[in-house]
Amino acid sequence: MMLSRVADRLYWMARYLERTENTARLINVHSSLLMDLPESMEIDWYTLIKIFNAEETFSKHHKVMDEINVMQFMIADRDNMSSIMTSFSGLRENVRTSLDLLPDEAWEQVNQTYIKLQASLSTLNSRHSRQALLRNVMSGCQRIRGVLDSHMSRDHAYDFMQIGKHMERTDMTSRTLEMTALLLSDARSEALRRYDSIVWSGLLSALGARQMYLRHKNSRIEGSEVMDFLVCDRIFPRSLTYSLAHIDQYLARLPEPEAVRTISMRLLEQFEEQDIRAIPVNEIASFMDSLQAELTTLHNKIGKQWFYPDLDISQYRQEKPVGQKQSQVQY
Amino acid sequence: MKEQWSQYDPGQLYDELIAARQQIRGHSQKLIGYLQGLSPDEFHHRVTESEMVIREMGITFTVYSDAGNIDRAWPFDLIPRVIAGTEWARTEAGLKQRIRALNMFIQDVYNEQRALKDGVIPRDVVMQSKGYREACVGMTPPHGVWANICGSDLVRHSDGVMYVLEDNLRVPSGVAYMLENRRVIKRVLPEIFNLLPISPVSVYPAQLYEMLASLRPDLEQPTIALLTPGIYNSAYFEHAYLAQQAGLVLLEGADLAVGADGYVYMKTIQGPERVDVIYRRIDDDFIDPEVFRKDSMLGIPGIMRAWREGKVAIANAPGCGVADDKVIYAYVPDFIRYYLGEEPSLPNVPTWVCRKPDDMAYVLEHLAELVVKPANESGGYGMLVGPHSSADKVEEFRQLIQENPNNYIAQPTLSLSVNPTICDGNIEPRHLDLRPFILSGKDIYVTPGGLTRVAMRKGSLVVNSSQGGGSKDTWIVDDNTLNGGVAV
Repeated sequence: MMLSRVADRLYWMARYLERTENTARLINVHSSLLMDLPESMEIDWYTLIKIFNAEETFSKHHKVMDEINVMQFMIADRDNMSSIMTSFSGLRENVRTSLDLLPDEAWEQVNQTYIKLQASLSTLNSRHSRQALLRNVMSGCQRIRGVLDSHMSRDHAYDFMQIGKHMERTDMTSRTLEMTALLLSDARSEALRRYDSIVWSGLLSALGARQMYLRHKNSRIEGSEVMDFLVCDRIFPRSLTYSLAHIDQYLARLPEPEAVRTISMRLLEQFEEQDIRAIPVNEIASFMDSLQAELTTLHNKIGKQWFYPDLDISQYRQEKPVGQKQSQVQY
Repeated sequence: MKEQWSQYDPGQLYDELIAARQQIRGHSQKLIGYLQGLSPDEFHHRVTESEMVIREMGITFTVYSDAGNIDRAWPFDLIPRVIAGTEWARTEAGLKQRIRALNMFIQDVYNEQRALKDGVIPRDVVMQSKGYREACVGMTPPHGVWANICGSDLVRHSDGVMYVLEDNLRVPSGVAYMLENRRVIKRVLPEIFNLLPISPVSVYPAQLYEMLASLRPDLEQPTIALLTPGIYNSAYFEHAYLAQQAGLVLLEGADLAVGADGYVYMKTIQGPERVDVIYRRIDDDFIDPEVFRKDSMLGIPGIMRAWREGKVAIANAPGCGVADDKVIYAYVPDFIRYYLGEEPSLPNVPTWVCRKPDDMAYVLEHLAELVVKPANESGGYGMLVGPHSSADKVEEFRQLIQENPNNYIAQPTLSLSVNPTICDGNIEPRHLDLRPFILSGKDIYVTPGGLTRVAMRKGSLVVNSSQGGGSKDTWIVDDNTLNGGVAV
């Protein structure tokens, strides 16, 4: 049995958990990348704001696009829908309201990380303590996921969390790829060209993919191979194809998934047939744009099917005799 | 810590742990011996740790009055309150006796009204109770039990006797904090559990589940839910915690609806699924807009019909608040004699009922010494505490009582017992009360101990957590093997 409202909360909980960890890693890797690059490049602190399409909100709060403003905005600002504070608070609220479905250690892990995060916000202007903050957030998210993965039954609650996680991951990966493709387009400066491999390597790290790339690709780090790995690899759990396959797989376990799966199956098919290396770098951005639009449609369909269904109980009668237990879903 | 303890002096107050300066009560010797053995640094460290544990466990309560709704860390004092097992056995028996009589009274009110006809209690006292619900007349809930979950507030006076101050029968709260206090102590002072036998409290969620399941004896495995007003309610933490611990479905009103067949259904991803038992944590007034408050957004239209037809069990039963009334309280000892033919084993606080002319004359004469309470308020509102009030205030109440004597009762000002409590690094006596929880379905279960609340300000008797009150773990220890008071 799974309440519609609770399914909605667990889906979002998993999205926020994924978003928090990914954002922290991205900020951390981006900071490290900037330390390797000379100043006045196309890549700077503000690039982060662009990845999250947060230019408008940022401009309401800040005039100067420097490190401190960008970091305050990306980590602490609750008006920024993608900030770590916003995401982690969203995670915490959704765990708090789903305690009856989650292992109780999850709640404790969430609070531990939250207490540390709150306490470290005042020192985030220092690069050194900011790194510690980001590492705490990442390892906190990993501990929370560890509790969930090792203690939760593989029921619908878990299915919704997996769908939420992979939806968020797909979204984040595609945004990051989109931005990298823009930065490394043919129009990039001569100065930046000299740092191509550092940027591609940074991309792999930002998505936590560097080691697996080196191990499985058997290739040096170069643009088209990196793109291929992050988009098409079938066994790396953060590639787009892998995530799309898992979204579809977990959707298939839910009651009456057919209508929703028409989208996920179509997307998956498209990705499985696509040779990303054949797409010129200039067109990657629009390719990712259209993926994000499809994901939004999928997200809305999921909500309509399971979270806010049209359900008029006042007209409802149960056919089974009272006293008989309703059947449980079997796996 | 030896020095701090040897300086501790409760004076004239009744102390739960210490009979007089340097005279430790038998049942608390091992605890105090253990605490004395900790160095001041170690003790301080444990106190800090307990605060951290509470934050990590996310044990919070919501305060409305601050800027918006703020979740505050649960206030907890590390030094437990200890009660001897032999005393508790008597208290527990008294609480069981009391809840049986209360439930028989409520059943009587909505059915035969024998006690009203026999003059045990005046009819108008019952009818003026704010908790009386016409819509419940003629109903008999499962096992004839209306108040399935009761939280009775007990206080110990300077005479050493434990009195019942009131019975919370509507939606009593606090039990989650009782459970969490024990979890905190087990983490912070684990060694002490080797030294003395402390009755476990952790069976409460399982007992709650059993009691709720017993409300549908016709079903082998009923679906049981806890209905909460939602995350903005001050007790939301407790609702979520109990649902988690007892394995109940945590529901909000919007998750539920009554079907065409009159059963109650919840909205799931697989469509409607029937709910058989609802542990509701919302007041009667809000439970069914078809019957009670029409503007309620929290309730479920039609749920009263489903309840009356036996298609869903509701705990506590609607209308059970009729007995949660300060005037009716005064008659509870009479209920015990009338329905059970027994003498009450737990005393009420002596109570003058102003509607009785003799009582009123006494009250008006001694107003400045007494506590005066209106019938239907809770949380200490609309009260007069004579010894702590101005002459103007006393006169104001004299007027109020004379205008509407039916609405007032008066009691002597009690001197609540104290317990050693950590205050700014020192150990000082602070006043406390105790709320045990009583579950009644097919059987009756009483928590060993309950939630001890403590007034953290010196001399204060206000134990409410929203007003600066704290809490303590409460230990029932087997005292058969322990000796009497011994010098430090």
